[in-house]
Amino acid sequence: MKLDRSQKPTASVELSFILPEEEHFKLDNALDVIFVKRSNLPTLRLNLIVNGGSKTDPINKKGLANLFAMMIDEGADDYNGLELMDEFDMLGSNFNVGCNNDGIYIGLRTLTENIDRSIELFAKVVTKPHFDEISFAREKRKVLTRLIQLRDDVEEIASSVFEYIVLGKEDLYSFPLVGYENDINNVTLNDLKNYYNSYFIPNNSALMVVGNIEKEELREKLNYYFRDWKPKVLDIEKYKSNLKEFPGIFFIHKEDSVQSEIRIGHISENRSRHDYFPRKLLNTILGGQFSSRINLNLREDKGYTYGASSRFNYFKECAFFNVSTSVAIENTANAIREIIKELNLIREGVTESELYFAKSSTILNYPSKFETNRQITYHLTTKYLYDLPNDYFNTYLDLIRDVTIDEVNKSAANHIHTDRLVILVVGDKEKLIPQLHEVNSDKITELDYVGKEIRVF
Amino acid sequence: MNILNLEYEKYKLNNGLEVILHRNNYHPLVSVNVWYKAGSANERKGKTGIAHLFEHMMFQGSKNVPKEMHFRYIQEAGGSLNGSTSFDRTNYYEKVPANFLELILWLESDRMCMLLPSLTQEKLNNQIDVVRNERLERYDNQPYGLAWETILNNIYPAGHPYSWPTIGYIDDMNSYTLEDVIDFFNNYYSPSNACLTIAGNFDWDNAKTLVDKYFSDIETKNKPDNLSFPPVKLKKEKVITKKENVQLERLYLAWPTEKAFDPYDSSLDILGDILSGTKNARLYKSLVYDREIAQDVTAYQYSGKYAGHFLIIATAKPSVSLLLLKDEILKEIDNISSNGVTQRELFRSKNGIKSSFIYSMQHIDSLADQLNYYNFYLGEPNSFNYDLSRYEDTTEANIIECVNKYFKSSHIELHIAPINGEAENQ
Repeated sequence: MKLDRSQKPTASVELSFILPEEEHFKLDNALDVIFVKRSNLPTLRLNLIVNGGSKTDPINKKGLANLFAMMIDEGADDYNGLELMDEFDMLGSNFNVGCNNDGIYIGLRTLTENIDRSIELFAKVVTKPHFDEISFAREKRKVLTRLIQLRDDVEEIASSVFEYIVLGKEDLYSFPLVGYENDINNVTLNDLKNYYNSYFIPNNSALMVVGNIEKEELREKLNYYFRDWKPKVLDIEKYKSNLKEFPGIFFIHKEDSVQSEIRIGHISENRSRHDYFPRKLLNTILGGQFSSRINLNLREDKGYTYGASSRFNYFKECAFFNVSTSVAIENTANAIREIIKELNLIREGVTESELYFAKSSTILNYPSKFETNRQITYHLTTKYLYDLPNDYFNTYLDLIRDVTIDEVNKSAANHIHTDRLVILVVGDKEKLIPQLHEVNSDKITELDYVGKEIRVF
Repeated sequence: MNILNLEYEKYKLNNGLEVILHRNNYHPLVSVNVWYKAGSANERKGKTGIAHLFEHMMFQGSKNVPKEMHFRYIQEAGGSLNGSTSFDRTNYYEKVPANFLELILWLESDRMCMLLPSLTQEKLNNQIDVVRNERLERYDNQPYGLAWETILNNIYPAGHPYSWPTIGYIDDMNSYTLEDVIDFFNNYYSPSNACLTIAGNFDWDNAKTLVDKYFSDIETKNKPDNLSFPPVKLKKEKVITKKENVQLERLYLAWPTEKAFDPYDSSLDILGDILSGTKNARLYKSLVYDREIAQDVTAYQYSGKYAGHFLIIATAKPSVSLLLLKDEILKEIDNISSNGVTQRELFRSKNGIKSSFIYSMQHIDSLADQLNYYNFYLGEPNSFNYDLSRYEDTTEANIIECVNKYFKSSHIELHIAPINGEAENQ
């Protein structure tokens, strides 16, 4: 007997899913610890966030926080940079430092058998970094060479210049993490030490811990290894918004490029809780996943691209919306027109079945967001960064379920603006200029690799 | 080690489909992972990239699944999905809430037996456009993006299927016909040429019943012939120089080595680690850290079913000559050949490998893929401990032996330089 395959199977039994339980406590030095115990494997992950990041870079010293992140593990306490990393490597522990607009992140992954030694080394980096001249000169040269290399990376150029323009060229969030050549040359070792003294303070930080350890044991170890890290009065300037809008069509010339990198979007509202969920579902329908309108149109229908997506990018203090894709260069104008068409269309509203799909995929996907220690650490960090309520993970699903179609349509009207788009394309200008004129007969502005105006066509 | 010893059940359906089940109920998730024993190694010249194009066609719906609905059904169920193609195999995988296992088995089985009835010229044309864009975006338009295929073209003899890249050439993409796609399906997509792994949260009896229900009536096709190739040897050194639209010069050195799981495969992995795996690795420390003549350096063994090669890649700092980098790299390899490596270096590498095995155990989808991987290369899915022991048993003598065996023979050199040749003045 041949099976009748025409019927799509439905879900079997209802599933139960228990969210990991968070524990919050403070160390003796006022450092906030957010902990989730997971006992399935003998591993532990730590992630320290220190508030600040590249939005604190002073004018003429853009790139400071990134250089700081490169330097902080170049030697601590009794170890130079190489020795320090060797100690981690001998344990099979992974240690890393990262930086974004809102913070410096220090991460550790260790086997539980090496918890003590790994946390001891981790704490040395946080509390007793060296900041020596020789390492500083070397890391500075490394980042300067990196800047040269970045000129080859069309995706990076498109993204960083788009952020510069869309966030108004003067806001603290407008500038690329990695900085600019002259700015990096202006940074001194003293600047890094000052950054450390101003920001690396337990009461300006939080530590996320996920893995196989008891809470009291963890508390004891952390209090011990971070005993020399003392709280201080914070003297940090509050972020002042300086966002401006420069809608228009921009391009950056990349000779002989066979693709064009496209970014289209505008400033958006901050991540506020009441509005976040309709916006999330809206974007799921518009461009947040494979089966979204933009990808189905540009990829599966037109074949212009390998993939196209949209998202709301939230920083702690500001946000922007953008669509991004890469298309064969002769399809640049076609792709831009289709994207604008989709943005206009979504403002007319979504259908009930689209909303059902977006809710279903978001709700049923929820358990898989808590599979690994890394994912949980990431969610805890996000929650801390955006100052989300304590019960955020427990109320998440209900808040998604409660979103109405009117709220989604209202958020489309409020958050998608085709009359003030920044359109940026990186590609070969011979092929781009005529196509961009086709899209819009107004002026087209050529920019250099860091977003400065070269000329207007 | 106990946590690396996975309990599983493996059996074969009458049509030849292999099935591997591994239960892990820690999360309410289940992962399905299908390997077809066909990759770009099964292609012929003129039709390169067809295995990968075929992978794309598998997402275009099948008889009972309309176009776009394969993705939509899985995403609606909160699942994630993808596929990938390599030289040796093509895999398809999904992770869904455990109560949607049947949905996935229905989808995977429908395209295993009923792909062709839904195939159209329009779908093919669309996906040719998509893979052409994929190639342009991920290779042609990336800095140094064509280096990989240049190495393959030169290190493997013409006719060896590793001599072309899995993505395929643009001219070949333009030539794909419906017939090519149908042939590829009929030649390689038989249940007897595939292995279905289910890992995660399921009930044994229920899973077996469902597998039987959806897969047992799929007809088997002829098994493709086994491929075999003589060992790859370079007759002489080759130096290839290319000018590209990049800022910094980059050097690639490549030696033919050996296949996956051959005796020195693991020693070559450890050698890669000792050369470039950490900040204290020899080449990283000397070229990048101490002397600052390179911006980055990577060394690794790539091994497949039919052959392997060892690759060292270094990007020169502005105004540093590639010849200097080359000399330093070759000197370090000679140094290992004459003086060996330290116990500390070996220990560091082994510890890193051991802990990465343990960290990887938390992803149910990578576990499913790894079971298929071991089954494909070794015939035994539960080979985590065996695999780890290959590294733990590696001695200093093994490292010297593999260096002497492979690095004294001819190699390929690829030099990539900026078109205008003046990177340092930018």
